Amino acid sequence: MELPLLSLIVLTPAAGAAILALLPSDDAVRRVALGVTLIDLALSIVMLANFDTTTHAMQFTEIRPWVPSLGINYALGVDGISALFVFLTALLGSVSVLASWVAIDRKVKEFMINLLAMQALMLGVFSALDLFLFYVLWEAMLIPMYLIIGIWGGEGRVYAAFKFFLYTLAGSLLFLIGVIVLYFEGGETFDILALTARDLPFGVQSWLFFAFLIAFAVKVPMVPVHTWLPDAHVQAPTAGSIILAGVLLKMGAYGFLRFSLPMLPEASVYYSTLMLALSALAIVYGGLLALAQDDLKKLVAYSSISHMGFVTLGIFSLNLHGLEGSILQMFNHGVTTGALFLFVGLIYERTHTRSIAAYGGLMKAAPIYTAFLALFTLSSMALPGTNSFIGELLVLSGGFAANPAFGAAAVLGAVLSAAYLLGMYGKVALGQASVGDRYAIHDVNAREMVAILPLAVFVLWVGLYPKPFLEIIDVSVKHLLVQVHGTGGGP
Amino acid sequence: MSAAELLRWVLASLPEILVITGACALLILGQFVRRGQEHVLVWASVAVVLVAALATVLLAAEVRPAYTGMFVADRFAVFFKMVFYLATVLTFLLSRKYADIEGIAISEYYVLLLFALTGMMIMASAVDLLSIYVGLELMALSTYVLTGFLRRERRSNEAALKYVILGAVSTAIFLYGVSLVYGLTGTTALAGVAAAVTGKPLDPALLLAVVFIVAGLVFKIGAVPFHMWVPDVYEGAPTTITAFMSVGPKAAGFAIILRVFLNPLIAGSDAWVIVAAIAVVTMALGSFVALVQDNFKRLLAYSSIAHAGFAVFGVVAGGADGIASVMLYLLIYAFMNLGIFSIVIMMRSGDFLGETIEDYAGLSKWHPGLALLMLLYLFSLAGIPPTAGFFAKFYVLVALVERGFVALAVIAVLLSAVAAYFYIRVVMVIYMREPTRTFEPALTPAVRTTLAVTAAGTIGIGLFPAWFLRLAQTSVFGG
Repeated sequence: MELPLLSLIVLTPAAGAAILALLPSDDAVRRVALGVTLIDLALSIVMLANFDTTTHAMQFTEIRPWVPSLGINYALGVDGISALFVFLTALLGSVSVLASWVAIDRKVKEFMINLLAMQALMLGVFSALDLFLFYVLWEAMLIPMYLIIGIWGGEGRVYAAFKFFLYTLAGSLLFLIGVIVLYFEGGETFDILALTARDLPFGVQSWLFFAFLIAFAVKVPMVPVHTWLPDAHVQAPTAGSIILAGVLLKMGAYGFLRFSLPMLPEASVYYSTLMLALSALAIVYGGLLALAQDDLKKLVAYSSISHMGFVTLGIFSLNLHGLEGSILQMFNHGVTTGALFLFVGLIYERTHTRSIAAYGGLMKAAPIYTAFLALFTLSSMALPGTNSFIGELLVLSGGFAANPAFGAAAVLGAVLSAAYLLGMYGKVALGQASVGDRYAIHDVNAREMVAILPLAVFVLWVGLYPKPFLEIIDVSVKHLLVQVHGTGGGP
Repeated sequence: MSAAELLRWVLASLPEILVITGACALLILGQFVRRGQEHVLVWASVAVVLVAALATVLLAAEVRPAYTGMFVADRFAVFFKMVFYLATVLTFLLSRKYADIEGIAISEYYVLLLFALTGMMIMASAVDLLSIYVGLELMALSTYVLTGFLRRERRSNEAALKYVILGAVSTAIFLYGVSLVYGLTGTTALAGVAAAVTGKPLDPALLLAVVFIVAGLVFKIGAVPFHMWVPDVYEGAPTTITAFMSVGPKAAGFAIILRVFLNPLIAGSDAWVIVAAIAVVTMALGSFVALVQDNFKRLLAYSSIAHAGFAVFGVVAGGADGIASVMLYLLIYAFMNLGIFSIVIMMRSGDFLGETIEDYAGLSKWHPGLALLMLLYLFSLAGIPPTAGFFAKFYVLVALVERGFVALAVIAVLLSAVAAYFYIRVVMVIYMREPTRTFEPALTPAVRTTLAVTAAGTIGIGLFPAWFLRLAQTSVFGG
């Protein structure tokens, strides 16, 4: 019998969470949590190493009956669309544990349990091949995330946690109805692959498209349902922000790729202009809001809205470049924005302020910190040579092919991102030292370095040699395009 | 009537006979129990219920009609009886310490609970409007008394009085409906009534009779517009009795509603529109009014109204899946609601009432284990996976969509999003507030057992619903 690799990846953090509950000291909790996430990361690397890039079929599949009388199975599997996300989640899991090492100083055990539970659920979402299983995991994530924001967050944490919870819940409940309708329309099955093969009438597709859209748009988030994000980000502890920006936001876009496009192809094509418009709006609006922020976390949060706009723009370009770019860009955004939140967290631990105005001349006090900050800032604004350049270029190419007007709006967003990111960097790193006078700022230590380095590696690796990453995605995206258009699609 | 037939009838109703005999024996036994020995009563009561449960399981293999069509012991009844046994046994376990604190640890308390149990069992098995009435009244009279059991407390007296008066009126309305049905069809057997009306256009007088019967039954499950008694009674009654009432008698009410409603009498008519309206309004009222409650018992009262509304959606759906979804909902609700009430009951110690939501501030700091359980029950009540509460709602929604009631399903989920707000507000108070006092929860082994059972049910059915789902599906009547 073959080793159930995906189950191992998904269940390792869950088992780890159970073990943590038995540990006595905070220190042991931290070490074991890190060990568990590292094992998980290793497993996900094994998975990627054995990933067959020549087929669009699901790999590492497992299936067990769960609720037979309703046709519900415990079914897992990954293809080129989900494989990178499984890896990204595992990677950011370890980074999150490191980021919480000293930042979380009370109820450490409970925090790490939530973190690991969260990781298990996220990994499950990306590898679920059963719609019911997907929904259960998707919705169950609300509980640990609510607690992470609400218990370990900043002063406005209670409000932020409520807002996050209710927005996401309200969005996904309509998704639930959509899932049930799909179950009956698709011949009483929750099997994602079987449902993908069904040809639903356009009217049904339309309704389902909007039911799904609400759920996914809240998660992405798309304008105008984005307002929970800045609150959640600002109040969440660093690890919470990393998970939110790095993985959670990807789930909405992943939902479009896994459900909306292949299951509702005609509706996806029909409403693609609307979706492009919303994406362009998010890119520009998010960028403008980011320009006006003084709070570092808020700035990164609004930049996330703008960058996720690129992702949805690429998806609804419905062509090869757009889709490949958007998937790669999701991975890049996870790495880069995860890193930026980590950096905000690091400096906040030292100075206890997130106001950009309070900083200046950090370069003298913390040269290594500012050097890496520069790398991730440049990556976020998609400088050539960094990961986001490849992703954004592909998305823009696809976007222009789909609709030049919205493509142009996206370019404007790219310019805006240069403005707010360079502005932020200039004020924080260059100029006169201001915070440094009042606080003793020490540079990054070894533990923090361990968290930063792998992210930096991926920034440059994807930026300079994206081929292995695109190879993973390629065949599955081409297959997805066949499902949507019935042909290979344009360039 | 031959001896063999009589024996068959007795066998069909053996569980009821066992419980009522046990209750009478306990009444006598109670006179010989000395002060400080009250735990004997608890264990004796639990033993009575367990013996009845055993008898029920052993006799469940076949459908046993009895008493000339008044009574039937079928799998549907067995399923409900299991819910009742669960609710009653857990109530006994919870009562041990609580009854001491409140000074109500006397044998009548346990005997009345057993009488109420008998009433509910008769309701589950009744297939004639008159036997329904007998079960209903036995249950209702026992719970009236139990509600007023805190004799020295005005709140409890007031609750009991309200409950008696409103309950009597509702019963009278129900009986009036029954008399109209009898006058029009010449029978009170559900099957006979159904046969008499099948094929004929619905007589206006019969419709009136149906409305009266519906009103009487809706009162029992606390649905709008007959819900006004619920908050007052839930708040005033001893908390153990509130826990019991929110699960047992409510399930019994649903058992009858399913028997009556899913008869051709209603299934063929447009009565589902009325039921759908009741479901929507009940759920909306429960959810919205609960938002502004500060007393936790009242909040749970409105929460139970909202949950009744959700279960009524399953009645609207009808069909095998609709019935099974209501049954599964009630079973799961029994676990999670008794669970949360165990914690409320436990908070009562010394002079501390533990009834307002603020009393729970910072519970997680002193008792992380209890806080975690509370979290589990609250998220389950809110219907968040992977808890059982989610699966209960999910299956009702499946039944609704299967029948094409997608719009109703959308309303149901939107209202449950509203309801989620007040549940997670309590989570917030428990986890995100600083404690203002220390807690000394009355954690006895009996209460621990209750918590273990309810927690296992709440998380277990959520993760592994298959077996329970099959059980509900095979227990649908006729099956």
